[in-house]
Amino acid sequence: MRRHALGLRLLALLFAALLVAAWQGLADARLISPVFFPSPSRTIAALVAMEQRGDLWWPLAATSLRMFYGWVLASLAGILLGSGLARSGPVRAYLEPFLEFLRPLPASAIIPPAILLLGLTSKMAVVVIAFGALWPVLLGAYHGFCSVDPQLVEMATALGMRWRSFLWKVALPSALPDIFAGVRVSLAIALILAIVTEMQSAQPGLGFLILMAQRNFRSAELFAGIVALGVLGLVTNQVLMTAERWLLRWRTLRG
Amino acid sequence: MARNRQAAGWRAIGSLRGVAIPALLLALWEAGAALGVVPEDTMSRPSAIAVAGWRALWDGSLVLATIQTFQCALIGLALAAMIAIASGVLIGLLPALEAVVGPTLDAIRPVPAVAIIPLALLIYGFGVRMEVLVVTFACVWPILIVAVSAVRGMEPRLMDIARTLEMSLAARLWRIVLPAVLARIAVGVRVSAGIALVVAVTVEIVLNPQGLGYSLTVAAQSLHPDLMWAELLWVGLTGWAFNRLLTMIDRRWLWRFHAWAGA
Amino acid sequence: MIPNALQVRQLSMSFGTHLVLDRIDLDVSDGEFLSVVGASGCGKTTLLRLLAGLIVPTAGEMVALGRPISGPSRERAIVFQDYSRSLLPWRRVWTNVALAYEVRGVPYKERRGRAYALLERMGLGAVGEYFPGQLSGGMQQRVQIARCLAQEPRVMLMDEPFGALDALTRQSLQDEIARLAAQQRVTVVFITHDLEEAIYLGDRVVALSPNPGRVAEIVRLELPRPRHQLTTREDPAFLGARHRLFNLLVGP
Repeated sequence: MRRHALGLRLLALLFAALLVAAWQGLADARLISPVFFPSPSRTIAALVAMEQRGDLWWPLAATSLRMFYGWVLASLAGILLGSGLARSGPVRAYLEPFLEFLRPLPASAIIPPAILLLGLTSKMAVVVIAFGALWPVLLGAYHGFCSVDPQLVEMATALGMRWRSFLWKVALPSALPDIFAGVRVSLAIALILAIVTEMQSAQPGLGFLILMAQRNFRSAELFAGIVALGVLGLVTNQVLMTAERWLLRWRTLRG
Repeated sequence: MARNRQAAGWRAIGSLRGVAIPALLLALWEAGAALGVVPEDTMSRPSAIAVAGWRALWDGSLVLATIQTFQCALIGLALAAMIAIASGVLIGLLPALEAVVGPTLDAIRPVPAVAIIPLALLIYGFGVRMEVLVVTFACVWPILIVAVSAVRGMEPRLMDIARTLEMSLAARLWRIVLPAVLARIAVGVRVSAGIALVVAVTVEIVLNPQGLGYSLTVAAQSLHPDLMWAELLWVGLTGWAFNRLLTMIDRRWLWRFHAWAGA
Repeated sequence: MIPNALQVRQLSMSFGTHLVLDRIDLDVSDGEFLSVVGASGCGKTTLLRLLAGLIVPTAGEMVALGRPISGPSRERAIVFQDYSRSLLPWRRVWTNVALAYEVRGVPYKERRGRAYALLERMGLGAVGEYFPGQLSGGMQQRVQIARCLAQEPRVMLMDEPFGALDALTRQSLQDEIARLAAQQRVTVVFITHDLEEAIYLGDRVVALSPNPGRVAEIVRLELPRPRHQLTTREDPAFLGARHRLFNLLVGP
């Protein structure tokens, strides 16, 4: 069985390698236009060149930072708002229709008004990112706080816990799995919006970089930028999943 | 009897509470603009926005833009569904295939769809095709994942029942596999529909000169804040209405498959 | 006069129009082990929740330790039947027990020591670092009891605590709770639908008749302590009480 699994893994590697080789071959033979599809070798060359110019890490950092700030802002707001909505019926009654209308609004549609109000600044970008990334966390937190086991609530009441203590020690840990689910989606949205805001407002970053590459018909750089963005998305997601696995390890341990 | 009236009365007040905050905000906005506290060159005022919005609706520009956006969104969704369902079912039926192709797919998936925008522009230039390409790329992944897990998670007992009933392969596929799988996939497509609209609008905001996103950007850049806010409101309404439509479809036809789909 | 730990006068409880408890009168002495037994629907769990202060009665009064019951209090600890839903699954066993200390403001450095001391006394010292999800049902229930004991309550209210456990575990936990109650000198109100368990554990048994819940009879048990699973259950006084109550609860 293990050899079977190993064989499959080798096949997977082979498949990927074949794909890359085919791409390289087609590009070199000019069967696909080099303007649109640079060969893998050119893409890697472009990546290396960008790195040496200092054109890789700075934009990467800029995009990551903006994404991170917006995401953190959105997560905090989402958790607070979600807990408020879960706790108080009146708050829900007043806010829910308003929020239900805001939720399906594409966050990128906020960008023109945001530019008008806040200019082509980093602050504008972070606000837009936070707006878009808010909803998954809000929903997750709301659902999580609503599903706190009523018996845990009773137990805490019987124990004489105060509200703040209850929130921090019982409600929040209990809601954490749902919050994490929301936070993961939120991060993906934050990355997307970071890229979009850069493209819209010429903020320095990877999004802006690939847009410029397109304008100058530098397809190798374009692909290199896309690769970098893919890696960024992958790495951030993996880090989050690892954090989630560690924080929620009590769920999977069995005696 | 009196109780029902009382309950209805409470419900009416309940729904009023929902509009309380928006109504209050609008009133403050209008008053603020009138008093000069709110800068009209960026914020405009609700009354002007309403007028601008009405005019845009009446002269057909909003409607045209909406059609353009939905056109791209729905075509992209359809393409994504076809590609994703076909490959998803195949991958689901052949675990070996997934082991081989999976890692490559996993490498491509984290690329955010918006990163494809410049590439699409490079290939197709401005227009419908580039937007459809981006929408398709974005919508393929959710549907693909659902399709694979739908085929994978098909209740094995269903196949046993089929074999006990000595159904032919064709009958098995048609009566058992297809219904079981399509229902779950429909749930995935419904989710992707929302994504399709958002991505379409995003592509238009970034650079494609057509559709709702573009008219929103134009309104902002041509210093017509009243038109811009009106367009934003329209986009919001469209998104909300589309979402409601999807939810209704969900509830009428798809609800019984939710348990199946584990949605 | 021996002070009463609990006093219940004309206690009634209705949910809407449904009368669940009808004018219950009860006195529980300090340090007494009171079993409450009855068929489903006789309101025993409701009675316990009223005593815990989790719900408010529609009529009647309750006094605990000289003060009227106006809400939950740490002095009246409640042990739920569903142990898995009353332990915090994301905390280790010892921090679950230490929760009672946290709420009371015991300093951080003391908590671990005291929690482990309590766990040791209950034979749970080895599982202190485990998560509740890793333990068997019986052990989880004992952890819940440990947490309640950490509250240092004067009264323990137990709602069919061993109902979800297998027979062997139930027996060993019965003996353990009897021992702990005597050791800690707490008053215990023990709800069960198991007649034999009620007689085995209690100083007195209150039998409730259902629909609505009323006190049908109170039987004082003259059985020697400490109780023994084999000999006590064969004691003529045990069998006599069982006969009396059986007829009451199930009918001749």
